[in-house]
Amino acid sequence: MLFRFVAVLLMAGLCLGFVHTSTAQNGCNLPLAGRITDHESRQGLAGATVIVQPGQQATQTDADGNFHFHVCPGTYQLEVRFIGYATERAEVRMNSAAVRNFQLHPDAVTLRGATVRGERVQAPLPQASGSLTGQALQQTRGQALGEALEKLPGVAAIQTGPSIFKPMIHGLHSNRVAIMNNGVRQEGQQWGQEHGPEIDPFIASDLTVVKGAASVRYGTDAVGGVVLVQPKALRDSAGIGADVNLVGMSNNGLGAVSAAVDGNLRRLPSLSWRLQGTLKQAGNTRTPDYRLDNTGFREHNFSAAVGWRKDTYGLEAFYSQFNSRLGILSSAIVGNRADLEAAIARGRPAIDPDFTYQINRPYQQLQHDLAKLTGFVKTGNGGRLTATVANQRDYRDEYDVIRSSSDAGRRNLPQLSYQNYTTTADVVWEHPTLGNFRGSVGLSGTYQFNRYAGGTRQFIPFYTNRTAGAFVIERWQHERLLLEAGLRLDHRDLRTRRLTRGFATDSSSYYGVERNRFQFWTPSASVGAVYDANVHLTLRADAALVQRAPAANERYSQGVHGGIYEEGYDISRPAGTPPLQPETSYNLGVTATLHDNPRLNGELTVYQNIIDGYIYQVIGEPITTIQGSFLPWRFQQTDAVFRGVDATLDYQLAANWLLNGKAAVIRARNRTLNDYLIYVPADRFELSVRRDWAGQKAARANQFFALVRGTAVRRQTRVPGAEYDPQPAPDGYGLLGAEVGATLRLGSTPVEVSLAGSNLLNERYRDYLNRFRYFADDMGRNVTLRVHLPLNFSPN
Amino acid sequence: MKTSLFRPFAAALLLATPMFFASCSDDSDPEPEDDNEFITTIRYKLTPTSGTGQAVTAEWKDLDGAGGAAPTITGLALAPNTSYTGTISFLDETKTPADDITEEVREENYEHLVIYTPNPATGLMNITRTDKDKNNLEVGLTTNVQTGTTNSGNLTIQLRHQPGTKNGTAAPGSDDANVTFPVTLR
Repeated sequence: MLFRFVAVLLMAGLCLGFVHTSTAQNGCNLPLAGRITDHESRQGLAGATVIVQPGQQATQTDADGNFHFHVCPGTYQLEVRFIGYATERAEVRMNSAAVRNFQLHPDAVTLRGATVRGERVQAPLPQASGSLTGQALQQTRGQALGEALEKLPGVAAIQTGPSIFKPMIHGLHSNRVAIMNNGVRQEGQQWGQEHGPEIDPFIASDLTVVKGAASVRYGTDAVGGVVLVQPKALRDSAGIGADVNLVGMSNNGLGAVSAAVDGNLRRLPSLSWRLQGTLKQAGNTRTPDYRLDNTGFREHNFSAAVGWRKDTYGLEAFYSQFNSRLGILSSAIVGNRADLEAAIARGRPAIDPDFTYQINRPYQQLQHDLAKLTGFVKTGNGGRLTATVANQRDYRDEYDVIRSSSDAGRRNLPQLSYQNYTTTADVVWEHPTLGNFRGSVGLSGTYQFNRYAGGTRQFIPFYTNRTAGAFVIERWQHERLLLEAGLRLDHRDLRTRRLTRGFATDSSSYYGVERNRFQFWTPSASVGAVYDANVHLTLRADAALVQRAPAANERYSQGVHGGIYEEGYDISRPAGTPPLQPETSYNLGVTATLHDNPRLNGELTVYQNIIDGYIYQVIGEPITTIQGSFLPWRFQQTDAVFRGVDATLDYQLAANWLLNGKAAVIRARNRTLNDYLIYVPADRFELSVRRDWAGQKAARANQFFALVRGTAVRRQTRVPGAEYDPQPAPDGYGLLGAEVGATLRLGSTPVEVSLAGSNLLNERYRDYLNRFRYFADDMGRNVTLRVHLPLNFSPN
Repeated sequence: MKTSLFRPFAAALLLATPMFFASCSDDSDPEPEDDNEFITTIRYKLTPTSGTGQAVTAEWKDLDGAGGAAPTITGLALAPNTSYTGTISFLDETKTPADDITEEVREENYEHLVIYTPNPATGLMNITRTDKDKNNLEVGLTTNVQTGTTNSGNLTIQLRHQPGTKNGTAAPGSDDANVTFPVTLR
């Protein structure tokens, strides 16, 4: 088998080499660049030797560990050597500019004869994207997933109090943002604005956001973008390693500890495993003037992975469980419209409690399980077949304030209890390279059913959702240009069973079940291009058409949920009119990226998203209930347009001084009503200055850094008519933050320690996207201590 | 050797098949909801203690909750210049027999306050709460009513739920019930 594999590789190499000798004369300026870092400390390694074979080009990395070659198209072996570290080799197929980074393992590992495999180069995306990895990710540890992603320009979060953050990409969220948790689309009650993603962010070693429609690859829910939560790849060198994160926050007394242990057996190098777990607890958040009652939360999560990997095939099993209890600000659960108006008029919560970790009603109790099995087999010449099957269970119980002597109070029953079961299966074949063409075809299926527990309210009816999709994406790459085109077709079969109540003449009630079935075929298509104008400038453009069939909540939600009365379109649609139809979005994006420059780097993205039949919630005429009058949030369809600009800029002021600026501006219109749309992020600007001190390599402490950050958010003035929002948008605000950190050597362990302060001036402010802005201020001053210990127990 | 290459993948494919033959453990129907905390009916019964008026009961009833069919409302027809004693009851009539929520309110009267707001404020009726909780704060499950001479108006009744915040005023907490009855005097 080994022989066969080597033979195939050799053949491939020979063929490619042969093909490319003819074009070598005019195409030998493909940039191949990368950075060499220490695997543990992630510190750049200066003076490492990088050799490209065939051709015997060699270079040494610069002070930051960067290297740079220009090569002809073809397949190359890259070799990286550095004294004190294991030599690494990887194969690179060069059709266009490529970036290959290496993380070298200290020598102790090599003495045991570690084998190192290069990771595959991901094809560049035509959409704009942003990532949090390494230190940038480290600086978000302890935060919720949606809060961490706010670091990326163009990504905001719909917030519900201090603990619930829902990622929003270019103004779209919930049913329009797909979250891929370790390669599996997160499925649960993701429709709810106050339902944060049920994912432990500590599991990620890479958080990537694709900003723009990626529906062809990830399904119709990815019309607004995709959040990719990627755990670290399973360990590929013999030994046992561990990673421990500790976080403490001053404002809400948050304490978090997360640890991961991974290993690879020397005697069985194909087998790798990882165990990971997180405990987190926080108490009442403090605003500058008062504490927020009942805003504590706690989480306990764990995951396990085991993988079997050979050169030509691999299999991985993964299981994770997420458990969370989230206290809801008690004064934000208002009953009717009069209570809402009174709370707004009061201007602050009725209670200013003492600090406590205790969580009372109202709260949310969540559990999410994911079990996944994935396998791949290489099909020769770059081809690869991958199959994934995953099962998810999502339980969400919402406990409202009730009388403790009632039946539910005595038994502590929830008012809402959803249960969602989802099975997804995906098969993708990346076909072997054919000339300048690479590409993949795939099939995906989802089978899902949703229930509510007996004895709780029907807010979402029983439903069963079957979707099936097929896609093809082809990439054509020649020298500095990559073109991509994709097509997808989805079928959604949604069956609902809704409980209805009727009344006999003697006013005794009887029940019925209303069954409905909605079937839609929805196409998606995309074209895109990536052009390396020169070594330092990359241009991207993409255009996409996506149709998305409505979800169950958009049709049939009904009732009071989190103090708000919500109603699906098909509940109250006028008699004789058709049910809710799919929405169609036309997405355009252009991005220019300046990269690998010594001084000035940055990225600019301009986008437009036209959505016909945009499904959104809007306040309707008040309805009368025994609890008083409510403002109903009804699902409606309209034609909408989102336009915006994201920009980020890095400028090296002087050696070790880095200036960074970010800006995100978005405009969203309701084209039917010729008005603005509600809950669109206000203009946001950020500026930071960072100073680094490398320090002595052998010193007990090195890698010092300090940064100061200013964030300015303008008031959202582009809001719909006053009748569509119970309160006008809050004022703009500016926040000051700062962070200092260093790496301490404890024995051979580099311990990263940092101290970060946010809202240092303790400013009173309310964010437009915080759904609790009607009731209370946002978080006051907060200081966060983070400690990160990477441990290696490799036998010597 | 050749076949071993593809075995893991075949296993994965096999595991994927349940999805395509998803047998339906999902064909159960929703059962009638048992919404605890549901109030469908409010009755305010007034019994005269002077004059010649009859005992009257106002009723506000909405059996299907928020949305759906409109509520049925029976107002108060009272005699002018008359004293009444009032008792209020809160019921969940979706249950058989009807669930008496008043009992729960009485048990936790230190977290509840019933507020009676006549409109116009003067001349129609004057309502005073006659019961108190363990903290010597008024509750309002029983009342005295003195009617005036104005011909007609409205009476709004609120059941305030004020867990941990009750201080004798209306402001804390939220409405568990908030209904308005028409009132006529003749």
